[in-house]
Amino acid sequence: MARDGVVLEVAAVSKSFGALAALTDVSLAVREGEVFSVIGPNGAGKSTLFNVVSGLHAPSRGRVSFRGREIGGLAPEAINRLGVAKTFQITNVFPEISVGENVRVAAQSRSADSGRLASLWRRPDVEVRVDELLDAFGLAARRDALAENLSHGEQRYLEICLALATEPSLLLLDEPTAGMTPGETKGATQLIRHVARARGLTLLLIEHDMSVVMGISDRIAVLHFGEKIAEGTPEAIRNDPKVIEAYLGGGED
Amino acid sequence: MSRVLTWRALLTLAALAALPAVPGLPRYYLLLAFDALLFGAIAMSLDLLMGYTGLVSFGHAAFYGLGAYATAILMERGVLSLWACLGFSVLVVGAYALVVSYFATARRGIYFALLTLIFAEVVYTFFRYTQTFGGSDGIQGLPDAELWRGVPIDTPERKYYLVLAYLALAYATCRVVVTSHFGRVLVAIRENEDRARFLGYSVQRYKMAVCLISALLTGLAGAIYPIRSAFATPDLMVWTESGEFIISVMIGGLGTLVGPIIGGVFFTILRDKVSSYVDWYFIVIGVVLIVIVLFMPKGLLGFRRLLGFKQWRATA
Ligand SMILES: Nc1ncnc2c1ncn2[C@@H]1O[C@H](COP(=O)(O)OP(=O)(O)OP(=O)(O)O)[C@@H](O)[C@H]1O
Ligand SMILES: [Mg+2]
Repeated sequence: MARDGVVLEVAAVSKSFGALAALTDVSLAVREGEVFSVIGPNGAGKSTLFNVVSGLHAPSRGRVSFRGREIGGLAPEAINRLGVAKTFQITNVFPEISVGENVRVAAQSRSADSGRLASLWRRPDVEVRVDELLDAFGLAARRDALAENLSHGEQRYLEICLALATEPSLLLLDEPTAGMTPGETKGATQLIRHVARARGLTLLLIEHDMSVVMGISDRIAVLHFGEKIAEGTPEAIRNDPKVIEAYLGGGED
Repeated sequence: MSRVLTWRALLTLAALAALPAVPGLPRYYLLLAFDALLFGAIAMSLDLLMGYTGLVSFGHAAFYGLGAYATAILMERGVLSLWACLGFSVLVVGAYALVVSYFATARRGIYFALLTLIFAEVVYTFFRYTQTFGGSDGIQGLPDAELWRGVPIDTPERKYYLVLAYLALAYATCRVVVTSHFGRVLVAIRENEDRARFLGYSVQRYKMAVCLISALLTGLAGAIYPIRSAFATPDLMVWTESGEFIISVMIGGLGTLVGPIIGGVFFTILRDKVSSYVDWYFIVIGVVLIVIVLFMPKGLLGFRRLLGFKQWRATA
């Protein structure tokens, strides 16, 4: 059962890799239309949480539900088709085809013929949606370039375009600004927020840059050694002694 | 023009159709052309896997050989209709391809190459040692097949037009497939199959489907071979045959469809010409291949670029 306005519910999820407990008993609920951020030191389990939600890993224990439907353990393609898309911490695009083709193949995933026999001969027209996305992320002039020839910042944008092209209602962004300069990060954050609003998206975001997180998030959860140690508004998190301890004691960033 | 009916394709077809009209052309050359175009068409079908999807099949000879045996088995029993032979081959090859592709795509990486090879060797061994199907001699001395009652496919001209019709059909099929929704997904799988899954594509289903299409086209090539040669032998499906298909794709240029046809034609003619002088034609082929791989990574078609032609596009 979906609780009021809750899009994604993670309930007491644990995930271990052999002896390593990457996630222990993590619970959180993401509401429709909000920006929910997950922070924590390196190796805290943030990406693992995303991988469990998006279907790369099945949870070792616990449940994941999306709009009231159990999705824990479903394949990534099945979860994507329900309306959950994810971007990757390390850029993960189609390197040796053009930027336009990258976005086209993602966009046609939601066309009527997708997965049907007719897809063998029909070619859906997705140009309008592709143009929209490329324009929004300033890649229109680069549409014929091979993806591998884009700059790092452009590749990060293409990464987001691919996910958005599948028309998700929940978007998981794993450090979208990884490797960007502080200036680029600021622009990227504004753009992401703008696009998310315009499309009525719910965002689940992992982000290292504290100023970004504090500025963009409605609520924040903090992971530390695979456990959720705090959750609340940016203001509450900023002043939470456990969080300060984790970041100072964790010794990085 | 359309995705398939380009002027270039139509002109090429017209030129090929005019070949029997060349004055003074020895009829033997029509049969060589049959072999060359058949080989080219098989290489093109394999390109759907190798060039577009990034899967290397070491077992295409089994699809080819099964198609040939299906025809030979029917003709040996007096069923001479071309259409019955084609239909039976499609059933046999399709059933086999479903099984192979299911297992071969269940795991990633090298398993595809390994499993296609192993399955093909099992099929080869079965026919090689089953006396009902002639053992190592195969099925020999077949009569002429019939297009329909009273119209035998007997002369080199008729056989040549049969292979030409098949090539046109196979080319049209491949072109439609690679320029479709489906074809785009194949390229995405080649580029990054993990990401394709996160975009909602059931990668294994796409891989199985493209295997099936490629296998059926190759099986149809096998089905018409005994109509030209009057035999089917286990040698058609020995694993070196699969290797020669792979080499033809590479000679011609991966992911281009037309390139592998040219590669297959080139390979067949080279083999025919060289082996009439020396037995070690494979050494010549090997040198040619090394030169191509080292200096023309895009194959013979890539060579066009050096000559100033526009580059062929792997994805339309
Ligand atoms: N597939 C895997 N197999 C084994 N161990 C893994 C796997 N994925 C993650 N881990 C381990 O789980 C722990 C959590 O990793 P995770 O990538 O989730 O951290 P993170 O919070 O995203 O860190 P970062 O900020 O560096 O991205 C790490 O110790 C990592 O080595
Ligand atoms: Mg991470």
